Amino acid sequence: MEDKPSTSPMSFVDQIVVPGDVVIDLSTMTNQTIKLGGGLRQESDAISVMKAGKLRFSKPNKYWVESSQKRYLPCVEDTVLGIVVDSKAENFLVDIKGPALAFLPVLAFEGGTRRNIPKFEGGTLLYVRVVKANPGMNPELSCTDASGKAAEFGALKDGYMFECSTGLSRMLLSSPTCPVLEALGNKLSFEIAVGLNGRVWVNATSPSTVIIVANAIMNSETLSGVQQKIMVEKLLQKIQT
Amino acid sequence: MEIDRDDGRTPNQLRPLACSRNILHRAHGSASWSQGDTKVLAAVYGPKAGTKKNENPEKACIEVIWKPKTGQIGKLEKEYEMILKRTLQSISILTINRNTTTSVIIQVVHDDGSLLTCAINAACAALVDAGIPMKHLAVAICCCLTEGGYVILDPTKLEEQKMKGFAYLVFPNSIHSVLPEGSLLVEGEAVEHGIITSVTHGLMSVEEYLNCLERGRAASAKLSDFLRKSIKLQLPTDSFKS
Repeated sequence: MEDKPSTSPMSFVDQIVVPGDVVIDLSTMTNQTIKLGGGLRQESDAISVMKAGKLRFSKPNKYWVESSQKRYLPCVEDTVLGIVVDSKAENFLVDIKGPALAFLPVLAFEGGTRRNIPKFEGGTLLYVRVVKANPGMNPELSCTDASGKAAEFGALKDGYMFECSTGLSRMLLSSPTCPVLEALGNKLSFEIAVGLNGRVWVNATSPSTVIIVANAIMNSETLSGVQQKIMVEKLLQKIQT
Repeated sequence: MEIDRDDGRTPNQLRPLACSRNILHRAHGSASWSQGDTKVLAAVYGPKAGTKKNENPEKACIEVIWKPKTGQIGKLEKEYEMILKRTLQSISILTINRNTTTSVIIQVVHDDGSLLTCAINAACAALVDAGIPMKHLAVAICCCLTEGGYVILDPTKLEEQKMKGFAYLVFPNSIHSVLPEGSLLVEGEAVEHGIITSVTHGLMSVEEYLNCLERGRAASAKLSDFLRKSIKLQLPTDSFKS
């Protein structure tokens, strides 16, 4: 069992915490300005945990709890893959696996005006950016980057989309490039779009490549870096023989 | 003083515990929890947009659906659903995902006594798995009062039938804190000494109830250690970085 945690605020960093744990005591800190990410909440001077996961700290003052889920909590500036559910006069309604449907304003496209409104049917897969995520409101999306350029955002045509946990999609987006993508990319050519909400889209010229890449990614969730490389190598050997 | 139990346990001894999480593919969070032969499967779906009729849309809503092993649900199961719902509502933070509904489905796999407490523990583990924001965890324990006035913990079905009365007690888990000892006291008592839910059946004097409470609290520390350990084991470690 774990021994009594010491009173230093660093003692919980990179440890697994469960809901209820008090991880930071503001009254003992000299610099009281800290930024709280997902999974933490403030109760007067105590910062307590509300999700099970690993407590992370990033200099100078950011704290958050890292965990893996099948649902997504919208966060500003996240890039996500959404599915169009419905289109209204002002907004497209997009499912991003969150607690509420997200709005994508029909003008939130590069050079978007009333005259040229894009047409998306229900079921269209979009690569979008979250621009507003306030509690009690539907999140708002945009198909442009901060400077108004289209920058890769928009509808994803063809290809194959599968769902995974948010932890896996975070791993795929981490830098340096995660081993499974690196190993696959050395041998195969494919396009991939990863949404932080646990959706991954893969496209390649041949369907068999798409299937291999998708399976390799789905299998890599519980594997370590070395194991991922071995798994990909074995997979590629099988198709070559 | 000590009484013999059919399975050779001491009065305060719990049956072997087992917990596994993330076992269902389609559910957003799931867990199975077993105490001896009693086993319960809990699945969490949501949060989904919108609340049910007669629920406060300013807060998140939790709905509990009880699936018995066989047959249809009756009055007793309805009561269990209600108790579970109230318990889960009090440990979750309902103001984060307002106007959403989270469904918790409880499937009884086998009932060998202490069914409700097993279900509460399973539901709590499933909520953790789904990442629903929570104030703290909860651990449930069933205390039984024998004819002779002894208290035994975690009874089996056979023992339950011979009992004069029993109490289902739900306690907050023991938390780890950076605050100095004693600063988290609520009216002079530690947080984990609070009671979230207490359901009693049968005859019981005040002293006997307090005795149950004391025994249950002692056992809840063990349960909460187990819960914390099983959460630690089953969290995916991002080992690829190391």
